[in-house]
Amino acid sequence: MLRSLISGLVLAFAGSRANISRTILSCAGIVVGVGALIAVVTAGHVGQTYAKAYGEANTGVAATYEVTSPAPVDDVEAFEEDMLRAGGEAVALQQPLDSAGIQLRQGTSVFKDPTVFYTDPSLSDIRRMNLVEGRWFTEADKGSLAPVVVLSENLAEQLDPSGGYADLQIGNSEWLRARVAGVVEGTAMDDWGGSGTVYLMRSPATEEMAFPAGIGAADEMGMGLTYRVRVSPDGSPGEEAFTERLAGTSWRWGPQADTEMLIVFRADSFEEIEEVLGYLSLGLFGIAGITLTTGMLGVLNVGLVTVRERRRELATYRALGADRFAMFVVVVAEAVVVSVVAGLIALLGCYGIAGGVQAFVGDMLPAGVSVTVPLQGVLVGLGSAAAVGLLAGVIPAWRALRTSVVAGLRE
Amino acid sequence: MGAAGARRARRAGGEPPAAPPGPLLRISGLTKGFPVDGERIQVLSGCSLEIDRGEVVAIVGQSGSGKSTLLNMVGLLDTADGGEHVFNGVDVTRLGEAGRARLRNTGIGFVFQSFHLLERRTALANVSVPLVLNGMPLIRRRALARELLESVGLGHRLGSRPHQLSGGEQQRVALARALSLNPPLILADEPTGALDAATSSAVLDQLISQARKRNAAVVIVTHDPLVAEAADRRITIREGKTFEEP
Repeated sequence: MLRSLISGLVLAFAGSRANISRTILSCAGIVVGVGALIAVVTAGHVGQTYAKAYGEANTGVAATYEVTSPAPVDDVEAFEEDMLRAGGEAVALQQPLDSAGIQLRQGTSVFKDPTVFYTDPSLSDIRRMNLVEGRWFTEADKGSLAPVVVLSENLAEQLDPSGGYADLQIGNSEWLRARVAGVVEGTAMDDWGGSGTVYLMRSPATEEMAFPAGIGAADEMGMGLTYRVRVSPDGSPGEEAFTERLAGTSWRWGPQADTEMLIVFRADSFEEIEEVLGYLSLGLFGIAGITLTTGMLGVLNVGLVTVRERRRELATYRALGADRFAMFVVVVAEAVVVSVVAGLIALLGCYGIAGGVQAFVGDMLPAGVSVTVPLQGVLVGLGSAAAVGLLAGVIPAWRALRTSVVAGLRE
Repeated sequence: MGAAGARRARRAGGEPPAAPPGPLLRISGLTKGFPVDGERIQVLSGCSLEIDRGEVVAIVGQSGSGKSTLLNMVGLLDTADGGEHVFNGVDVTRLGEAGRARLRNTGIGFVFQSFHLLERRTALANVSVPLVLNGMPLIRRRALARELLESVGLGHRLGSRPHQLSGGEQQRVALARALSLNPPLILADEPTGALDAATSSAVLDQLISQARKRNAAVVIVTHDPLVAEAADRRITIREGKTFEEP
């Protein structure tokens, strides 16, 4: 049987090479089908990577909770410790300072309405900060007497960068010279017409500017502090359990706190993204499947026609000593060789198209996202090509086996 | 050399298998019929035949007498309805499809009237087919196929495809293919039927001389009296039965 298998494979390969026009004709449908499949996998992969990068930059990695404390918080340090104890893996203040009236000034230009977040270095452990210039905050920045800021890209573009934004000032009641640590890619809010975002590092030098009434005191809306808390990627312990654990320790940091007063919700968008991508992939796979089936029917048709046309050739093989199994292998392997060759052509085409798309839109994509055929695309493409060849080869092979040697030789 | 070594050497075409005693081919009371329009037409009704190694036998008879059917039985391309059939010491009526295919590959060389070469393959590739089916490694089979083509005077046409060869050259490629595994029996069905007189004679000479060189028996089915005369014995088929010609 091994000898029949090997000889069948050798003859199939030689047959595919010898009948190159038939091979090419059979290929066409599979090239389109497999190409569509690889394109779907690639599009899904790029979409997923894009959505992940977008979500991580805007809302946080999986899984991130937004936690808003009741006001007032008497002991901020204890509150942050208890968020870690309640299941948090990283905690960062991300306090919008809308009511603090903070503005930027450079020379005579005043930027009145920037979005200002008062935050910690650990925010970069929770949200993807795609720096386009400089660096993110470090613990060492806490010792700086000047406010340390990171600017969004669209805000930085409105400023004069000479001397490292040397004459940039920040303040509300009084102006302080700001030290710009870096520039970060804009978020959705910036992209949708926001005037820009300033990340202001939490430090003793800036606390009074950010919280004139003291950190932990209620703002004008009666709200307390807002944090980003990274928990386990699977979302555990869950918002409810997290809230209960945190409220259970409220005596340490805020006497008025209970579960009703803590606002905890999942801030990252991964569950929604996964769901949307799942439906999208299902639809695209359906289309690719239909295309591939059409291609398979094409190969099957060519296979059936060629088996009919090749009765004499197949009968000659049989006369020269090929047994039924070897003939089965010859016909099936030819279909598989054709399909895999088509799969390789489709793969090369997809690599070419992906390279072209990347060249055109690469600059517009977030950091870490590129249009390229993923490994699973290669495996799905070649695997499905081989599977289609196998399926498309079986019926013609079965037909070939039914052919009488004597009748075939007479043709 | 052990049994495995001997098998390897035989497979490589280097040494013929040890011949079992008795005639190479013994057929007795062979019958074969075909259903036609609901009726069974008996084509062979008790054919008997014995052929020794190295013998050249011509089978003659009118069209429709059953010559080709008998050749198909002898060549293990078709199965008989009844009778005895022993080839090279093997009772072929007991063999399954795979066993018959194997015996066809190693024991019988075919030369057809219309050559039956693979159209898009070179002469070298055509001669290599039985060797591929025999599991011979690539380098060895290429060398052997080249040697065989050289032995039939086609050393300069190794890379030619059938449509680039004359009828005589195509038949010589087919002859080289038939000889490739040193079979003890060569079956030739009207081997000169598609050739002109001069070419026929040359091809026939080559067929018989190559077979004699290898001590292979040749069974030639022919209408051509000149071809039949070249054989050691002539057997006529009439009404489904074999008759030895004097």
